[in-house]
Amino acid sequence: MPVPSRLDRYVETEKQKHFSRDFMIGWERYETWDEATVGQSGLAQRTFEITEEDILDYNRACGETDPLMIDPAFARQHSPTGELLQHPVFVTTIAFYSLGEKGIGTWIRTPGARNPQQRIEIIEPFRYGEIISTTITTADKFTQRGKPYLQMLLDFRNESSVLKARWWCSLILPATRADVARFANA
Amino acid sequence: MPISFAEIQAGHSFPPVVQSYAQPAIDHYALASLDMNPVHTNEDWAARAKVFGIPETVGHGMMTMSTLASVVTRARGVIGKNGGSIRFVDAKFTKPVKVGETVTATGKVKQKHYFGPGKNWVQVDVEARDATGDLIGLAEVGYNLPD
Repeated sequence: MPVPSRLDRYVETEKQKHFSRDFMIGWERYETWDEATVGQSGLAQRTFEITEEDILDYNRACGETDPLMIDPAFARQHSPTGELLQHPVFVTTIAFYSLGEKGIGTWIRTPGARNPQQRIEIIEPFRYGEIISTTITTADKFTQRGKPYLQMLLDFRNESSVLKARWWCSLILPATRADVARFANA
Repeated sequence: MPISFAEIQAGHSFPPVVQSYAQPAIDHYALASLDMNPVHTNEDWAARAKVFGIPETVGHGMMTMSTLASVVTRARGVIGKNGGSIRFVDAKFTKPVKVGETVTATGKVKQKHYFGPGKNWVQVDVEARDATGDLIGLAEVGYNLPD
């Protein structure tokens, strides 16, 4: 499916330049609700190196105005870490980059998914240069008012295995691959 | 203005955050978060798929969560000048945010949690509404404050 070319104007970071923007490519390999098993766990496909530009672009997209979040020169002088401070929901970028296109947790990319609730815990700030590995565990799978919910826990650890943040990510999903296909082929 | 755990009281309110969900803002968020689901960025597909029962793109739930959390970050800082810091954000989404909406989020301190020196925190309850006044999301934000 063609991705609108107007999105090109927002490309700012190296990761964005190389990230596949078409979530419809490979949807046949995304994990589906009916296939997911509670307790299954694994590492995400890719690691994520924390860079200034990643944090800066996320903060700007959220409309932040604090110079500690959007002015790298100011942050070098005045922030407690000497680095830009990241928005607490920045783990979203780490997750979408790291999860990739196949394997556990790829249901986060599902066409037709709906977002009911999320919980993020910040243990300590990410720092430039850290290499973040994401461990995904299928945490819950249930139906509520006839809708299929799936929840995974994402643990974000640096190269020294220090836990930096946790995200309990929940979505309401099309239940089967045939259900996903109806959205993918819409 | 710096404020301590001892000084802050339940009911303390935070200035509102107003966020545009016009398509350019949603597009920027899509690239920044790398959440490229077409329900947010592809008007033609969104019109056919009608994921939320409407033939339009919608803002990301994570963008709404960010707007909710920004009520606290803009008032007190992600890491505040007096050492405060966000410890968690727990959000629920009650209505999809249609493209073109303007969302206003407000927050108040609901609870004070006495975890001991250096560990005390407050729960800030935040809600976000669209231009018609409909509730689109709620969050509990945990914020550590110096004693």
